Amino acid sequence: MDLLFNILDKTLTGPPIEKHDFEFKLVPKTTKEVLKEYGLEKTFDPNNPINTDLSIAKEFYRAGYDLALRLGMFCPDTSRRVMFSDEEIKQALSDAPKEVSLGYGRDRVTIRSRRPEDRNLPVAEGSALGMAVSEEYFIPLCMAIAQYKVIDIILAPTLDTINGREIRARTPYETIMGMYEAKYVKEALRRVGRSGMPLHGVEGAPTEYAYMSGFLPGGYDPERTIGIALIPEPVILSYQIMHRVVTNHLICSPLEAGHMLNIGGYFGSPEGAVIGAVAAQILQTVSMFPTIVESTILDARYFSNTTREALWATSTSMQARTIGNQVMNLGITSQVSGPCTEMLLYETTTITIADSVSGVAIEIGTRPAACRYKNYGSGLENKFFAEVLKSSAKNLKLTDANEIVKAIIPKYEDKLKNPPKGKSFTECTDLRTLQPTHEWLEIYEKVWRELEDLGLPRWE
Amino acid sequence: MQKENIEEYFEKLRYAILNGDSELARKIADTLREQGVEPLKVVNEAIKPAMDEMGKRYERLEIFLPELVIAGEAAQEVLNILLPKEGGESFIKGKVVIGTIYGDIHDIGKNIVAAMLRANGYRVIDLGTDVPPRNFVETAKKEGAMIIGISCLLTPSMYYMRDVISRLIDEGIRNKFYVIVGGAAVYPDWAREIGADGWAKDAERAVQLCDILLEKGHQLAKPILIGEWR
Repeated sequence: MDLLFNILDKTLTGPPIEKHDFEFKLVPKTTKEVLKEYGLEKTFDPNNPINTDLSIAKEFYRAGYDLALRLGMFCPDTSRRVMFSDEEIKQALSDAPKEVSLGYGRDRVTIRSRRPEDRNLPVAEGSALGMAVSEEYFIPLCMAIAQYKVIDIILAPTLDTINGREIRARTPYETIMGMYEAKYVKEALRRVGRSGMPLHGVEGAPTEYAYMSGFLPGGYDPERTIGIALIPEPVILSYQIMHRVVTNHLICSPLEAGHMLNIGGYFGSPEGAVIGAVAAQILQTVSMFPTIVESTILDARYFSNTTREALWATSTSMQARTIGNQVMNLGITSQVSGPCTEMLLYETTTITIADSVSGVAIEIGTRPAACRYKNYGSGLENKFFAEVLKSSAKNLKLTDANEIVKAIIPKYEDKLKNPPKGKSFTECTDLRTLQPTHEWLEIYEKVWRELEDLGLPRWE
Repeated sequence: MQKENIEEYFEKLRYAILNGDSELARKIADTLREQGVEPLKVVNEAIKPAMDEMGKRYERLEIFLPELVIAGEAAQEVLNILLPKEGGESFIKGKVVIGTIYGDIHDIGKNIVAAMLRANGYRVIDLGTDVPPRNFVETAKKEGAMIIGISCLLTPSMYYMRDVISRLIDEGIRNKFYVIVGGAAVYPDWAREIGADGWAKDAERAVQLCDILLEKGHQLAKPILIGEWR
């Protein structure tokens, strides 16, 4: 607890700065300076979306570490920077867990720190992260995902209503939702015979109200659930997020500290995003004491990570982080196309391969149509994602991965701006059996055959 | 002032804006004002071309959000110096009150839209994040805005968007403002359901949406949806 107090004290005593100056001036200026000093400007190569040069990844880690030291974090509640010394960072990275086992019985899973081209398998997490799902389809969708044994852990989608009521942020409706989400997802696991499966939540909690209620007795079990402290932008340390960190600390539950980082945003270029993600991983480890750290580099133009820029930045940053330290890294796949389309599987392939061969420890499955449409998710794309994740880890080198991704990207990149919406859960799933429709299964088989032809063995 | 000299100053001003150099932009604006150069000429020949170029560079990922924002601020400094205290509003396309709705602290999407709107000649009043519905309405009334732009990434915060529109209806001022919605959680049907005037898929299209609304919004069926998935 002393370490946590130390962090909270820093939010009250660090150097003062305005949010605007931190985000729009200090972050971009320092990022540019660091990239220049380390000679990493203009290293993005659109023709090779998966980085295959580990020496450059090592240099990106050194630069990102330096950025973490120079920048620190920003607390919007006190308008102060939260700075860390080299000694504090080294200690936190050394103390970070290297593996964790979660769940019960035959559903128990071990997540391990991995490195690039590591043949140990990453953990596959099924999900429709951030997608609003109607109450009536919430349990069926969770069942449709968890029924596949290749999925190791589940993250619920976002409940749209409870008993027909809108769940409004910061109201008691939200507080009720936290517990309902946990009960519903556990019920789904019971129905598919996977009651011991590890969990990740509270997914739908916009604030600390649902987050705390979700971990009350009867809700998410602290010993098998990874909590979520996801900051909206890297290097922002708000009290709203620290409430979650404190909660998980008090109940001794594993924690994911995460961030989304946009190419085109505060860190700028793809190269800036790489060192931004490294810095954020280091700073979140030292400030939030997580079990795993999530870093998702999105292309701000599409809110996805399946563009050439995002794939290169994701692979380079993941390699940098997994070479530079032994923190367990979590990745997220975020697509723009919807279910029951070839494009969704192509997008899923490229980002999943990028993370898998670059050393991700645990990867979260699909976010069809950037999760913008209610009920636009299904089980099959999650199964496909998990199979690609594991097959890539077992079979591919970085150079193989790059060649496959290079062959797949042209199949969808001209549609990124106007992607197909696809079909909803009920349109591409037989609700009696929770199996995909014939049409959706045909698409899945076709894309898998293409991947086999490109050299990725099908996961059995 | 000689025509050649004016051109030279315009060139310097475009350079200052493109580089986000507010100090240089202010100095040039002072000189142009002292020389009695028409503000409209400065807007059309220096500020607008510079901000158009910034918008294009952002779309090509040649520059990024901070540069876009800083350039917009430099352009704003120039306008503050050149525009008359009275009647200055006629030099801007329109006024937009923007913010992330209550319960949601995500702001990069909203910041990109705000920057793109500024780059395209709009005056933007940015309320920040976690904004209660009432603040959108009160600020729009106070500032005489034409458009209220509401952003949201989290479903449980989305419902508060409807409250903004309900409040406008309750106060009998719904037809005084166009309400546009966007953000990762927001889909076209939601815009339709809550009675919003428009939805756009991304920042570039948000600018198009505002242009269309101000140009011929009263003639078109609502909501206007730009960039809907096929």
